[in-house]
Amino acid sequence: MKFGRFAILIVFFTGIILSGCGQKNEGASNPSEAKKISLTVWHWMTDRESALQELSKKYEEKTGIKVNFELYAPSDAYAQKVRAAAQGNNLPDIFSVLGEKRDFAAYVKVGHISNLAPFMEANNQEWEKGFFSKALATSEFIEGNSYGVAPGIYGVPIDMTSIMMLYNKDLFKELGLDPERPPVKWEDFLAIGQKIKEAKKQGLVSGWGEIWMIDCIANNFAFNLMGKDKVLLTIRGEVPYTDPDWIRVFTLFKQMQDAGLLYNGLVSMVNKTAEQLFANGKAVFAFNGSWCVNVYQGMNPDLKYGVMFLPRISDKFPVSVWGGAGSSFMVYDKSKNKEGAIKFLQWLSDKEQQMFLAEETRNLPANKGAAGRISPALAEFSKAIEYSTHPRVWGVSEFSQVIEAFDKGIQSIIIGEKTPEQVAQEVQKIKERELAKKKNK
Amino acid sequence: MKNPLYYKIKSITLNTLIHIFLLTIAVSCLFPLVWMISSSLKTQSTIFSDTSLIPQQMHWENYALAWKEGGFGRYFINSIFYTTAVVIGIIVVASLAAYAFSRFSFPGRNIMFYTFMAAMMIPIPGSFVPLYLLMNKLGLRDTRIGYILCMINVGLSTSIFLLKTFFDKMPRELEDAARIDGCSKFGIWWNVALPLAKPVLAVVVVFNALNVWNEYLLAYLILDNRKLYPLQVALMTFQGEYITKYHLLMAGLTIAALPIIFVYVLMQKYIVKGVTQGAIVG
Repeated sequence: MKFGRFAILIVFFTGIILSGCGQKNEGASNPSEAKKISLTVWHWMTDRESALQELSKKYEEKTGIKVNFELYAPSDAYAQKVRAAAQGNNLPDIFSVLGEKRDFAAYVKVGHISNLAPFMEANNQEWEKGFFSKALATSEFIEGNSYGVAPGIYGVPIDMTSIMMLYNKDLFKELGLDPERPPVKWEDFLAIGQKIKEAKKQGLVSGWGEIWMIDCIANNFAFNLMGKDKVLLTIRGEVPYTDPDWIRVFTLFKQMQDAGLLYNGLVSMVNKTAEQLFANGKAVFAFNGSWCVNVYQGMNPDLKYGVMFLPRISDKFPVSVWGGAGSSFMVYDKSKNKEGAIKFLQWLSDKEQQMFLAEETRNLPANKGAAGRISPALAEFSKAIEYSTHPRVWGVSEFSQVIEAFDKGIQSIIIGEKTPEQVAQEVQKIKERELAKKKNK
Repeated sequence: MKNPLYYKIKSITLNTLIHIFLLTIAVSCLFPLVWMISSSLKTQSTIFSDTSLIPQQMHWENYALAWKEGGFGRYFINSIFYTTAVVIGIIVVASLAAYAFSRFSFPGRNIMFYTFMAAMMIPIPGSFVPLYLLMNKLGLRDTRIGYILCMINVGLSTSIFLLKTFFDKMPRELEDAARIDGCSKFGIWWNVALPLAKPVLAVVVVFNALNVWNEYLLAYLILDNRKLYPLQVALMTFQGEYITKYHLLMAGLTIAALPIIFVYVLMQKYIVKGVTQGAIVG
């Protein structure tokens, strides 16, 4: 019997496994090094990794505390890692929770996330006052919130986003329009559609295939048309979707389509495609978030574009934009370095570090004091921060089934499958069904 | 009786149609590969503006940049190590188990086999959190051995199924002859069963090597230490929240694809044999 080869195989296999086992203790041989305080931060922001590493070096030079930024991308892999680590009580000192506010609330309720309100409020709210109020709202749970979370601030925003309209200045010139005077009123906007049609160009691009962006623009229209209170009353079930104001909101999409303002195939377009089309001058308008400044810079550095608010439909209520905190960090409540983690986040959200992040990553800073040194395009986005809103801060949330019917209904209006009235009735029917279900529970 | 010309035209038409069909399939399979290589030689902005397959200006430096920025050196070695260890582990365990399931009678044999088969039905990400918790309890989280054991576990069911199907069909007379010559059960497995199973082993090697080489989700979950990461994790660094560095990603993907293409070419002869001998369909 020739066992020789098999024995060699087993020895080799055992060898490589054992060689691997030794790796874990690497670097722990020096006791003084083991004692050194270090913080671990988990994040998913690939495009901010180098800037964060740079800041980590600066912090170590300043305090002697090493901050290990550990990147786990893409975001779904990161979310899974955080979920698993939470179950095993292995969360790092600082991390982020991705997902909806209810997911965030679940982490807070099981005691994984520290309430930072006492630190924010210390010294006459020194830390809290540094932020845009809208930036903190995303991480805040107010008294009597529907999630059952103790009131407090559970996250530190490091940047912000706002979603606005953009227009191509060169194409504006070709259409005979003034590139410094984008349309302000709805009628002016619709009139541009006619010019786009005549010039055989394409109008608006956006990621409306990723349904949430339709929800975003539709809610912006609704806020302008009927005001925040009426929108929230609708979500609470006190105003029906068949209300004339809501039918008007649905009709706006039909008007845009009829006017030739929408890019062919917009309803199934993903945002990456929309960004590519706009960056290459294939579309006059885009509806996109402030992150696009960085995206367009990479795709076409010569692109000349302007940023504008959504055209105003009514003068009764202000035009709102979806926005707020872009990314936030949370402190692990069971961390041994909790105090150090909070001090680091205070430093990270300081004006100087925020300016550095904004310059390096072309994202809107969360610190008010840092907003002065951003690019002109980003400055336009920052103007919208005061008008920003987001479902995360409304305190009430719509049923997901209703949101789906609402957004898909708008898609069917654009492709001419349904009328605004039909969609309104269908959405209301689903709303009533879900309300009845909730009541029976 | 039809005119011979009719049969000739029929044969030519049929062959042409078959070849057009096969060419279409071949082009659709090759196009992503060609596009990947073409994009790896463009810049971030020309990827979106220059749609030709042959770039106007070749940016070979993308490869060096991807290698450096992604930290490919260490990750490459890690991936080779994990792939080798996992594939060897799977072959040893799966072939022994499959041989036992095929040839020996022992209590609970069928239940055990069907349990393994049932494991094939569980979506891999569905088992990630339980695996994480298990590794945590065993103190194997954030270790190479922990990741290797998890990956062996992931690949076992399919491999056992493939090998058992092969052993079931293997003529028993060969083993009888070996037994008469004085071979033990273990000796028969080593000297008779395994050499005969080369084609199906090639399939097991390639399938599992591909699986381990392309895996990154479980690595993310089990491993915290960046030094232990496999190559695929490095590729993720080019995919940002809002921005993807496509030119570097494509260069990185091309680098990452080379070893696995090499393994496939090396084993192609056996794989085709394995598939045609019914290694897959049983």
